[in-house]
Order: sequence, then structure tokens, then C-alpha cells
Amino acid sequence: MQRSQTLVAVGTLAVAGLLAAGARDISSEAGYAGIGPNFVPWVVAAALAVCGLWLLWEALTGGFRNMEDDGPAPEVEGDGKPCWIGFAAVSAGILLNAALITTLGFILSCALCFVLATRGYRASQGHPDLRPATLVRDLLVGLVIAAPVYWLFTKLLAINLPGLTASGWI
Amino acid sequence: MDVWNQLLQGFATAGTPINLLWALLGCTIGTAIGVLPGIGPATAVAMLLPITLQVEPTGSMIFFAGIYYGAMYGGSTTSILLNTPGEAASMVTAMEGNKMAKNGRAGAALATAAIGSFVAGTIATVVVTIAAPVVAKYAVLLGPPEYFMLMVLAFATVTSVLGKSTLRGFTSLFIGLALGLIGIDQITGQARYTLGVPELMDGMEVVLIAVGLFAVAEALHVVLFEGRVVETQNKLTKVHMTKLEWKRSIPAWLRATFIGIPFGTIPAGGSEIPTFLSYATEKKFSKHKEEFGTTGAIEGVAGPEAANNAAITATLIPLLTLGIPTSNTAAILLGAFQNYGIQPGPQLLDTNATLVWALIASLYIGNVMLLVLNLPMVGLWVKLLKVPKAQLYAGILIFATVGVYGMRQSAFDLFLLYGVGLLGLVLRRFDFPAAPVVIGMILGPLAEAQLRNALSIGEGKWSILWERPMSATLLACIVAVLVLPRLVKMIRR
Repeated sequence: MQRSQTLVAVGTLAVAGLLAAGARDISSEAGYAGIGPNFVPWVVAAALAVCGLWLLWEALTGGFRNMEDDGPAPEVEGDGKPCWIGFAAVSAGILLNAALITTLGFILSCALCFVLATRGYRASQGHPDLRPATLVRDLLVGLVIAAPVYWLFTKLLAINLPGLTASGWI
Repeated sequence: MDVWNQLLQGFATAGTPINLLWALLGCTIGTAIGVLPGIGPATAVAMLLPITLQVEPTGSMIFFAGIYYGAMYGGSTTSILLNTPGEAASMVTAMEGNKMAKNGRAGAALATAAIGSFVAGTIATVVVTIAAPVVAKYAVLLGPPEYFMLMVLAFATVTSVLGKSTLRGFTSLFIGLALGLIGIDQITGQARYTLGVPELMDGMEVVLIAVGLFAVAEALHVVLFEGRVVETQNKLTKVHMTKLEWKRSIPAWLRATFIGIPFGTIPAGGSEIPTFLSYATEKKFSKHKEEFGTTGAIEGVAGPEAANNAAITATLIPLLTLGIPTSNTAAILLGAFQNYGIQPGPQLLDTNATLVWALIASLYIGNVMLLVLNLPMVGLWVKLLKVPKAQLYAGILIFATVGVYGMRQSAFDLFLLYGVGLLGLVLRRFDFPAAPVVIGMILGPLAEAQLRNALSIGEGKWSILWERPMSATLLACIVAVLVLPRLVKMIRR
């Protein structure tokens, strides 16, 4: 835990650095106020740098203070290991959805995301269940959720969501 | 009485069939969301923000308000029946409610929660009705320095009161402020941190941040760490209170209402503190102390639930009259107003009187609807708890897509959503509070504009911030919020 906390602190410092780097390019044209559009960016960058340093100090001297879960987190009972396969499946679902939504259309792309995500959750529960029957069932459930949502938003509320065909039904 | 006249007109607007329908829809969706683990009212309102593109403001604000405290009613059902409390505010209810349910008194716990929410919500709405115009009248006198100080006060309380570490709170806040900087500077029109990406010119979308931080981060956290957590459910019994239970509940409701209201109006970060305070009060006053933590005391459910609802309702006072959100969901509601180009503040009651009074009237109506939805129909909602985790969270991802994509029709936003989700996962894992991120992001640009206006008035002199009596007072409050808790701790040691 301590090593990952150090990483978080370093990450905070990195964000502060990026903000500061970006702030140099913002004009300081101040007008009557005496402070320009670059003032708050510098303040935020500096404050994050202070927070980052402080977090780093905490991480290196016994870990973050007053954590909710000292020792193993209560929610990681069982084998206690994070389920990276499940995480990968859910991530793939979200990212593929983002990549494919304009080509496949909302309904199919979301159904695909649903199938991948349910695989992930099933894997995290210890039974990935790759039988074709469950796959098909999850696909159908995904379609049954996505399709009415799509119709509701596009037909009733006239909010644009991408479709596969121009008919507006799929 | 002018107020009552306007309220009556509000009822006329809120009572039109279409607005009643929006209220009912909001209350229903809100209850469902409250019952379902995984998403809270802030996420739900955020996901549905795209409707602001099409639906007129009154209807959608009524709808969102319905969701806002429908979720509070529904949340108690889950925390009483399920052995894993959802959001922080229902944690206290879970302590006693769960004990009661285990001892076969789930029905009484549910009843006191729902009726208590109704009583507190209604009293708090009356307070909103009376107080909002008064606050607005005085708020007109506030200038940019005072507004800036008020917003800093909100930042200070949200970060140092919520969560366990002020340091992590402030880190969250500054991350939120940084996110708020992305886009066009409001005063000079200069682009900041846009990296030449056109989507970033418009700034970060509220929907994206809220849905990413709450829904996607939660979904990722569940798959990574909570796969093997087994939830057990308590048995539902008849929703009914005995005479003695009524007698014990009523004073608890009333005490809690008056604890909850002031906490909702000051920027102290929502309803966690009043629920804990009310719980402590009930424990102290109760004649049945032995029941607390053992068989479950009904006051321990009645009080916190009422305090919760009173605080939630009272958050509307600063939101509507000052434009300052004091909870996550209020921050998102502010985002909804901004989508319509409406800036809540002291003028709102004049410029958008119809909207405000219809909204307030709809709170009265919504409370009645929620009582009906939650008492006789509780069995229906309990069925929602049977939705398996895999389908529930995968379904949440679909709704997240609708909300985020529907807002700007940009696939780029969906990639960004995943990034924000990862950020939220890290925050959650390392116990950083998420609320300051959202509040910082939404309130940050407003605070910056106020600061620069204030300094313009002072011709560049910072002393304007402490030379005016009101802003000096607020400055003292800010210092007190930051210093006092530490001082108390030091003295106790």
C-alpha cells in the first residue's frame, strides 16, 4: 500500500507540474484587477504541489493518515486479490463502446459493452461463465436495456444518439 | 402575504398534468436509484442532464428535484434491508435499521424512515418557502468580494469537514479547481489548458465528471475489489408502526428536522454531519438506551432519516438564492441551471419567479408522492435488490454512455469518461473524498470571476477582501472552519 501511496503523491506532483507548465503560456494581461487569467492556474498549481509534497511526506513516513481501511480493506475479503481480468474486461467494454459507437450505432455498441462488462463482473465473482447460452442471454439483456433507452432519447426527447441505419430504430 | 400568493401560483404551475408527470417520474426514478446500490442521486441527475437540451426548465428542474430526494427515501430501504450501507448519509440509518430488521422489525424501521422523511421534508419545505425570499433580499446587498468569500467558505467546509483527512480533501478540491480551469476564461475569453482539442474549449462537461467519478469509478471499483462480497438481505415485514413506536418516533423526527435544516443551509457539505448529530442526540435522550446497537432503537432510524431529508431540502436555500451548492447533487443541479443559461442567485426569484415557485410547490407535491410510493409499494422496490450485480453494473455503464454522449454527441467524451473513471477509482482507493472535486470544478470558475471582479472594484488592491464588514466576517468564518476543529482536538489531548 505504501508504495502505491508514494505513486499517488508523485502523480499529484506531476499534475502540479503540468499545470505550472501550462500556466506559463497563459497571458497575464491583468486589466483593472491586477491579476490576469494566469493567476488562478498558478495558485492551483502551487497548491497542488504543496499537497503533493505533503502526501509524499505522509506516504514515506508510515502511510496516509486516518485511512478508512488500515490493513486489508474490509471489502477485499475472500482471496483479497484485486481481479485484474475482470477489470480488463470492463475497461475493454467501455473503451470499445467509445471507439465503436459512431460506426455500430448506440444500441449494438452498448450491447457489446454490456456483454463484455458482465463477463468482467462474473469473472470477479469467480465464475466467468463463457458458455454460449449465457453469452447470448447477456447480449439479449443488453439489447433489451439499450434499445428502449435509445428510442426514448431519440424519439421522445429528440436527443441525438448515433444509429447504425438512418431509420432511427437501430 | 405575498409569499403565499406566489406559492399558490407555483402550485398552479406545478399542478399542470405535464409537470405532475415530471414530478412523478422524478420521484419514481429517484426511489429506484436510491434502492439500487451503485448510483446515487448526483450520478442519476448527471446522467439525465441531456434532457435539458430539449425539455423546458420548469419541467426538468421539477424532475431533477424529484430524483434528488426520491433517492433519499429509497436509500433508507436499502440500508435497512441490505447489510451493506450505500452512501454515507444512510450509514447511520443502517446501524440501527439493520439491527431492527434482523430482529424482525424491518417494517417498523421502513415506516418510521418514510414518514419521518415526509415530516422533515415538508417542514423543511415550509422553511424554504419562507426563508428563500428573505435570504434573497439580503443577498442582493452582497458584492463580488462577499460572494468570493462565501465560495471560499464553501470550499473550506466541504474539504475540511467531509472525509477523514483535510490534506486529501484539499488535494481533491484543487484537482476539481484544475478541471474547472480547462476551457475559455470567462473574463478575457482566453483559452486555458485546451491543448488545441476543440472539445476542451467548451470546458469539462459536468455530466462527464460526475458520471465518471461516481458511476464509472464505482463500476471499476466493484469489479476490482468487491466481486466476492456476498450481500445478505433481511426479511421484509409488514410496514406498520405500533402506538408506542409512533410515540417514540415523533419527537425524534421533530428534533432531527431542526438539526438538519441549518446544516443544509450552511455550506457544510450535505447531510452527513446532521445525520450523525441527530443519531447522537437520540441516543442521549432515549429512554431505551439498551436498544441502541443491540436490538435496534427506532429513534436511531427516525432521527437520522428525518435529519437527512431536512438537510437535503434546505440545501435549496443557498442554491437558489446565492447560487452556492452545498452538496454534490446541488452542484449538479447548478450545472443544470447553467445549461439553461440561468445563474441562480438573489435575482433568480425575480427573473425566474415562475420556475422557482413551481419548484418549491413541487417539493410539497413530491413529498406526498414519495410517501405513497414508499409506504404501500415498498414490496415492489425491494424486488430491485434482487438484480444481480453483473447486470446491474453493466447496465449502469449503458446509462452512463447515454448521459455523456447525449450531452455533446462526441465519442471523445466517452474516452475522457474512462479517464475520469480511473481518476475516481484512485480517489476512492486512497480515500480521497470525491465531493470537493465536483464542487471545485463547478464553483471554481464562478469564484475566480468573483475574485477578479472584486479586485477590479478594489482597483487591484487585495485589501478589498477584508475592508468590507461582511466579507471580513466571512473571512473570519473561513479561518474558524479551518482552525477551530484542530484547536478543539489539541485541547482535548
